[in-house]
Amino acid sequence: MHTQKRLTPFFFLAPAVVILALVGIYPLVFAAWVSLHNYLLAQPNIPHDFVWLSNYLTVIRDSSFWGSIGRTLFYLAVALPLEIVLGLAIAFMLRRGRWAHLRGFARVMLVIPLAMTPVVTGLIGRLIFNQQFGVVNYVQTSLSSNKIGTEWLGNPTLAFVTILVLEIWQWTPFAALIFLSGLTAVPAEVEEAATLETRSFWVMLRSIQLPFLLPALTAILILRTADILKQFDMVYTLTSGGPGSSTELINLYITRIGLRGAFDQGVASAQALLMLVLTTVLSRLYIRYLYKGDNA
Amino acid sequence: MTTQQNSAAAIRSADQLAVLRARRGSTVKTALHGVGLIVVLFGTLFPFLWMVLTSFKTGAQITATPPLVFFEGTLDHYRTILGDQYNVGQSLITSLIVSVSATALAVLLGTPAAYALARFEFKRKDDLWFWFISNRFMSPVVIILPVYLLASQLKLIGNPGLLIAMYLTFSIPVVVWICTDQFRSIPRELDEAAMVDGASPAFIFLRIALPLALPGVVVSSILSFIFSWNELLFALFLTRGSGVTAPVKATSFLSGYDVPWGEIMATGTLIVLPVIIFSLLVSRHLVQGLTMGAIK
Amino acid sequence: MKRTLALTAAFLSVALATQQAQAWSLKEAAAPYAGTTITGIFLDRPGYKAADTLIPQFEKETGIKVKTEVVPYESTNQRYVLDFTSGGGTDLVLSDVVWIGQFADAGWMAPLDKFYNDPKLADPALNLKGFFPVLLDSFGTWNKKVYGLPFDNYSGLMYYNKCALKQAGFAGPPKTWNELLTKYGPKLTGNGKYAFALQSRRGETQSADSFMRTLWLSGGSLIDPKTFEPTLASAASQKGLQFRQDLLKFMPPGVVDQDHNEVVAAFNNGTVPIITEWSAFYPTITDPKQSKIGLNCLGVTTEPLGSAGLKPALGGFSLGVNPNSDAKKQAAAYLFIQWITSEKNAKAYVQAGGVSGRQAVYKDPAIRSKFLYVDPMVKSWSAGTAVPAFRPRFAEWPQISQIVAENGTKIMLGQLSTAAGAKVIDDQVKAILDKAGYYSGKKAKLQ
Repeated sequence: MHTQKRLTPFFFLAPAVVILALVGIYPLVFAAWVSLHNYLLAQPNIPHDFVWLSNYLTVIRDSSFWGSIGRTLFYLAVALPLEIVLGLAIAFMLRRGRWAHLRGFARVMLVIPLAMTPVVTGLIGRLIFNQQFGVVNYVQTSLSSNKIGTEWLGNPTLAFVTILVLEIWQWTPFAALIFLSGLTAVPAEVEEAATLETRSFWVMLRSIQLPFLLPALTAILILRTADILKQFDMVYTLTSGGPGSSTELINLYITRIGLRGAFDQGVASAQALLMLVLTTVLSRLYIRYLYKGDNA
Repeated sequence: MTTQQNSAAAIRSADQLAVLRARRGSTVKTALHGVGLIVVLFGTLFPFLWMVLTSFKTGAQITATPPLVFFEGTLDHYRTILGDQYNVGQSLITSLIVSVSATALAVLLGTPAAYALARFEFKRKDDLWFWFISNRFMSPVVIILPVYLLASQLKLIGNPGLLIAMYLTFSIPVVVWICTDQFRSIPRELDEAAMVDGASPAFIFLRIALPLALPGVVVSSILSFIFSWNELLFALFLTRGSGVTAPVKATSFLSGYDVPWGEIMATGTLIVLPVIIFSLLVSRHLVQGLTMGAIK
Repeated sequence: MKRTLALTAAFLSVALATQQAQAWSLKEAAAPYAGTTITGIFLDRPGYKAADTLIPQFEKETGIKVKTEVVPYESTNQRYVLDFTSGGGTDLVLSDVVWIGQFADAGWMAPLDKFYNDPKLADPALNLKGFFPVLLDSFGTWNKKVYGLPFDNYSGLMYYNKCALKQAGFAGPPKTWNELLTKYGPKLTGNGKYAFALQSRRGETQSADSFMRTLWLSGGSLIDPKTFEPTLASAASQKGLQFRQDLLKFMPPGVVDQDHNEVVAAFNNGTVPIITEWSAFYPTITDPKQSKIGLNCLGVTTEPLGSAGLKPALGGFSLGVNPNSDAKKQAAAYLFIQWITSEKNAKAYVQAGGVSGRQAVYKDPAIRSKFLYVDPMVKSWSAGTAVPAFRPRFAEWPQISQIVAENGTKIMLGQLSTAAGAKVIDDQVKAILDKAGYYSGKKAKLQ
C-alpha cells in the first residue's frame, strides 16, 4: 500500500516524461556527439572524425555567429519594450471611456494578429513593403516630394526596421490583451477612492494599477523573450536574412550553416548547443526572478 | 463663519470651473480616444484585410499603382491553388491532422503529469517542472539537426507521425504549464474526501479533478493547436512533396522567375482564415490561456 | 582457333548491335518499363514549363509516368543533399552546373555510359557530339565521365531596350563594360530610372550572376586554376570588385536584394533599359502579358566586353539518373532523359520556350529568325569564347558559394571594403580547399 502510494506520481508522470525525453533529450545527446565530430553532411566521403572541441573553437572565433547573436539580442531589446509600452497604451484605451461598441469590437479584433501564421505575416510584409507596388511606398510617395519608393527590403537598416515593424504589429495586441485582463482585476472601489486623492495618471498607474499589471508584464516578458529568441518563420519568408546578413537572426544563421552549403552539422550542432545554454540560463533567471518571485 | 462660507463658495466655484474645464477637455479627450481606437483598429486589421483583398485581384490589379481598393474580383487564384498543380487543399488537411493529433496527444500525456506535479509530493519536483517548461523555451533549431539525421537513418522523413512527435516538444509543456496551475486551484478537500471513500488516484484524477480543470485543458488545447498549425521549421525539414504542411506550402511559391502574388495571398488567406475564425470564437479563452501561461 | 573465335564473337556482336540499332524504337525499348513511375524535381522556369508540354507525348508512347515536383531553386540543392544522404531522392537528378562535382564525388548520380552503351536502351540517334561541347562538358561531365545530359541551358546575354537607348541618343548597346559605366550609366540614370541592374540577391544569384561576372570582366578570378590558391586580393580581381561598386550608382538602390524576377520585371516595365541575364528569360521578356517592351524595342546581344574580351556567364542544368533508385526506374529515367534532350525533340522544346543544348536546332533559319537570343547565345557557347570554368564545379563550391554570397553582398552594401571582403573570402576558401586536401595532393585539382 505504501509503495503503491509512492509510485502513484510515477505512473502519472512517466508517459509524458518518457515521450518528451525521447523527442527532446535523445536528439540533444546526439547533437552533443555530432558537435565533437567533423560531420559534413553534403560530403559523405569525408570520414566523421572525432575532433575534440575544434567545432566549438570555430564557433567562438566566428564573427558571423556573434554578429547574429548580437542582432537577435538587439531585436529583442528594441521590440520587447515597444510592444510593452504600446500594449499598455492600447490596454488603457480599450479599458473605459466612451465608444463602448468600438472598444468591444477592437478588443475582439486584436486577437487576429495573434492567430496569424508568422510565415504568412512575412509574405504579407513582402507585398506591402514592395518597392514598386507596395502600399507603404504608395502612401509614402504621395505624402512626400520624393517620388521614388523606398527600398525597404534592399537596405540593411530599413530591412531590419521592417522585420521590427512586423514583429511589433503581430505581438503588441498580445501585450495589450494581457495588460487588459490584468487591469480588469483592479477593484473598482479602490480606484474610485484613489481618484478623490489624485488626478495624475502616473500616480494612479504606479500606486494602484501596477500591482495588478506586474503579473501581466511577467507573462509578456517570459513568453516574448522565449519566442523572439526562437524567431525564424516570419524573417525566413520576409528577407531570409538579407540583404547581406542584416536580418540574419541566430536561428536563420544556424540553419544556414547546418543545412546549406557544406551542411556542417558538427559546427551547427555546437552553435545550437551554445544557444541552448544561453536560453536555458535566461529562462532560469526569468523564472526564478519573475515567475517564482510572485508566488514565494 | 463668513470666511468659512466665503472659502466654501470659492471652493465650489473653483470646482465648477474645474468641471467646466474638465468637460471641455473631455470632449477633446473623447474625440482623441475615438481617433486612437480607430487608428489601432485600422493598424491591426490592415495587413490581414490587404491580404484577403489581394487574393481576389488579377495579376495586373496587384501590381497597379496606385494600389486598388475597389476592383472587379476574381476567384482564379483560389481555383489555381486548389487545383492539382499546387494542391493547397491537401496541405491544409495534413496541417489539420498533424495539429489535432499533436494537441490530443499532448492533453493525453500532459494532464496526468500536471496533476502529479500539482498534487503529489516527491523529490526534485521543482526541477522536473522546470524541465517540462524549459522545452517551451528551447529553439527547434537545437534539435532539428540531430532529429533530421536520426529520422533519415530510420526512413521516417515525410512521415506525419514524426512531425506530430516533434510538435509534442512544445505542446506538452504548454499543457503541463497551464494545467498544473489549474489543478492547484482546485481545493484539496475534494480529493481527500474521495480518498477517504476509497477511490483510487486514477478515479480521482479522471472523475473529480479533470472535470474541474476543464477550463485549463480547453485553453491549453487551443494554444497547442494554434502553435502546431503555425509551425514552420520542423515541417520545413521533416515533410516532403505532397505531405508538406500548409505553412511549408506557402514558402514554396517564392521560387520562380515571377512571383505569383495572387496565389501566395490566396494560400495565406486559406491558412490564416480557419485559425482566425477559431480564435475569434474562443478569444476569451485564448487571452486567458496566454495569461495563465505565465502567471498563476 | 581462339583468335578466330574472338573475332567471330566481335563480328557477331557488331552485327547484332547494328541489327538492334535498326530495330530500335522508343516504344519497344520502354516496353519492359511500361507502368513505371519516375519522379523528378523541376524548377519554376520557362524550360521546365516547356518540358511539361512535351511530357504527355512521352508518357503516351512509353507507358512510363513522369511525376515532377516544383521546388524553389534556392532550396533545390538543400533538398537533394537531404534526400540523398537519407538514401532516397527522386529518380531523375537535376544537376546545376555547379553541383556536378559534389553529386559525382558523393555517388549521387549514376555514370550514364552503362545506359548509352546498352543497345537495348541507347537510341542510335543519341549523338552526344550534337550537344554544344561546352554544355556537355560543364553540365554533364565530371572527371571525364558523363553523368548528365544538358537539359536547361543558359548563357549570359545582354538584353537592351532599343527605344529607350535611342531616346537617350545611343545608336546601340554598350560594347564594353567600361562604356556602360562611363557613357551609358550617367546618361540613362535619373528620374526614377537606372541605366543597368545586376541581380545580386544573396544566394547563387550573388555568387554567379553578380560576383563571378564582375571578376571575369576584369580578368580576375576566385582561385588560381593551377595552384587553387585564392586570388581575390590580386589587382585584377580587386579591379573587378571595385568596378561593381562604381557601377552601383547607376543601378536601382535595392539591387542587392533583387533576384532574377525583380531585375527582369524592372526591364519589362521600362525602369531599366539594360540588363545582363540568362538566355532562359527570353520567353518572359517577350511575353506581352508580362512585358511592356514590344519586340520592336527589344535587343539581345552578347554580354559587353571586359578587359579580357567576351567572358559570358555560363549556367544551366543537366538531367541524370539516381543510382539509388531500383534498376527499372533507372532505365526508365534514362529513357526519359535521352528523349527529352534528343535532337529530334529540340525544335519542339525550343518552340515551347525551352533552351536546347543541341547544335543542330539553331541552324534552322525559322528558329534563328523567330528567337532573337539564338545568335548571341550560339556565339557565347562557341569554342574559344565559352568559359567552362565560369564557376568552379568541384564538390566544395556550394559551401564556397555561401561564403561568397554572404560577403559579396556585404561588399556591395559597403559593410566591407573590396579588400577586406576579399580577405575574408580568401581565408575561408583557403581553409575549405585545404581541408578538402587539394594542397596536400590528396585530391586532384579538378574544377
